[in-house]
Amino acid sequence: MVDRSVTAVKPGSGGLNRLRGRETGVFVALVVMCVALTLMNDRFLTSTNLLNIGRQVSLLGIMAVGMTFVLVSGEVDLSIGSTYALAGIASGMMIISGFGLVPAMVVGLVCGAVIGLINGLLSTYGRLPSLIATLGMLSMVRGAVLILTDGRPVTVNLRNGADPDVLAQFQFIGQGYLFGIVPMQLIFFVLVAAAGWFLLARTSFGFRVFAVGGSAKAARVSGIHVQAVKIWAMTLMGALAAFAGILSLAFLPSGQAGRMGMGLELDVIAATIVGGTSLAGGEGTILGTILGVLIIGVMRNGLVLTGVSPFAQEFLIGLVIVIAVAIDKWTTTPHRA
Amino acid sequence: MKKLLAGTAMALLLMPGLAAAEPKSLADFKLADRIAAKVAAGEELNFFVSYQDVSNEFAPQIRVGVEKADAMDGVKATFIGPVGSDADAQINEIEALMDTMDGLAISSVSTDALAPLIDRVLAAGIPVIAYNTDNPDSGRLVFAGQDLVQSGVEAGKLMGGVMEGKGKVMILTLDAAAQWSLDREKGARDGLAAFPDIEIVQTVNTGSDPQEMYASIENAMLANPEVTGLLSLECCTTPAAGSWVDRNQKAGAVKIVGFDLLDQTVEMVAAGSIQATIDQAPEAQGFAAVDLLARFLKGEPIDNLDTGVGIFTKDNIASVMKQ
Repeated sequence: MVDRSVTAVKPGSGGLNRLRGRETGVFVALVVMCVALTLMNDRFLTSTNLLNIGRQVSLLGIMAVGMTFVLVSGEVDLSIGSTYALAGIASGMMIISGFGLVPAMVVGLVCGAVIGLINGLLSTYGRLPSLIATLGMLSMVRGAVLILTDGRPVTVNLRNGADPDVLAQFQFIGQGYLFGIVPMQLIFFVLVAAAGWFLLARTSFGFRVFAVGGSAKAARVSGIHVQAVKIWAMTLMGALAAFAGILSLAFLPSGQAGRMGMGLELDVIAATIVGGTSLAGGEGTILGTILGVLIIGVMRNGLVLTGVSPFAQEFLIGLVIVIAVAIDKWTTTPHRA
Repeated sequence: MKKLLAGTAMALLLMPGLAAAEPKSLADFKLADRIAAKVAAGEELNFFVSYQDVSNEFAPQIRVGVEKADAMDGVKATFIGPVGSDADAQINEIEALMDTMDGLAISSVSTDALAPLIDRVLAAGIPVIAYNTDNPDSGRLVFAGQDLVQSGVEAGKLMGGVMEGKGKVMILTLDAAAQWSLDREKGARDGLAAFPDIEIVQTVNTGSDPQEMYASIENAMLANPEVTGLLSLECCTTPAAGSWVDRNQKAGAVKIVGFDLLDQTVEMVAAGSIQATIDQAPEAQGFAAVDLLARFLKGEPIDNLDTGVGIFTKDNIASVMKQ
């Protein structure tokens, strides 16, 4: 996993050590947090709570996998919260209009992929910074889903016209449990993370993503189609945001265009960066991203369990993000010299 | 409309009403010359109804009321407002439209932020009323809507009643810092104070994303398994709490009192997962906002208007269920 990514950016075994150190640092931070919470609250280290955390971070994690590709390629995507809302609500509307689960999900996923594709085209051939292109897309997509729903909540239930069998399938993917224990959302997160890890660390596409993010000019000279790599990364991001949005609506079978996924992009970017992915591109791993997502999830869970005031929670979560990234930067900079 | 009528009917029975202010009349108001000329000529009056977030769940229902009022003779009513609770955007939009408006009804994103603007609009000779969310720090003429503190008191009393006067309660809100939430929370705590054997464990700030809401409730309930009552202060954590109760087989053991009539909430009240919900008749608020402005400019004295607290339980929820 790590060999290929680092080789693309900066060949040499020093890079390998550095990357391992980065993930280790995030892992140690997570362990310290878990130990502290276990000592502070006897309800933290229970199977129920740990599975709750697993489920609670799943949608964030699915999107963070996509964001890892985007950030490593040297771009950013701010439109994913809106894409999440559009895809979830569009799929839900199809189900209550009488369509089956598969066509409804395909439409949602295609919506997300197309939005990602447009983001990619604007950021490459359109020569717009991805920050600007996706900021515009954030607003356009949010507006589109508000127009689509007229601002009204979309609730997927029998009363609104969903077929009982389709509704049962839809509820299973969002609310179901494998073997009666493991939440389906968590299963999907694990599958997406495994596929993301394989794609980023074990395929030529992953190698190109690192190469493009490390130095677009060098990648171009090496014969890599820089634009195509970035477009694929953003398309993947769009599809994963859409998938998370569909799962979200399946979990709480009601969504509202003005609320669903609002501000989610910042949580996803924060989790990805805490996991060691560089905003400057060329660095990052799926394992680090998973750890970053878990840090955010454990933090949110632990602050509630320990009874910290809601306003203090916001402050502390921000503080942890800053400290985590700062420690990473301070501890890795000397190795880069 | 059925919801509107049912809610209003319930309100007449259940709420003491907003304190009446001194009625306001056109004779005591320095109306802008251009508006006075339009009134004198019997021309159509151009009213704007600014809502604090046109993308939230209530906006469509309030807009329906505004559109009904728009159908009245001599009135053009336009529903405006920011997407998202953005005070700057609400101020900018109103400033841009000031020269064309003959009356403004406003539900403020932030009372502090909007009060100076409301006073500026009034100083320009344009009548302003508050609706949905009051802005008592401004010079607004009157307020049409639900008394938020009072609705919180009613929710607290309901919670105490369904818990039979004992147990531990957690308060849920999607934005603990918002003025409406602070008002309702104050009322809820006042209402629960009548039950000395009920303890309020904490207020949970869930955030507004549905997943965040559910996760916050889930975490808080794990941390406080002794809680037997969930009091939601708004539309959206009400069904999220109901979902948690359903999925954890706690229906009946953990009682829920919440707000509003979202589809999920209505179904959960009917199913017994939620014990009671309080409606605030958003359509009636939208209509009243325009109607009060029209009556004021016709020379009729206007006063605060209470759109009421409609309480729905399993016994009467059928009246608002979709057929």
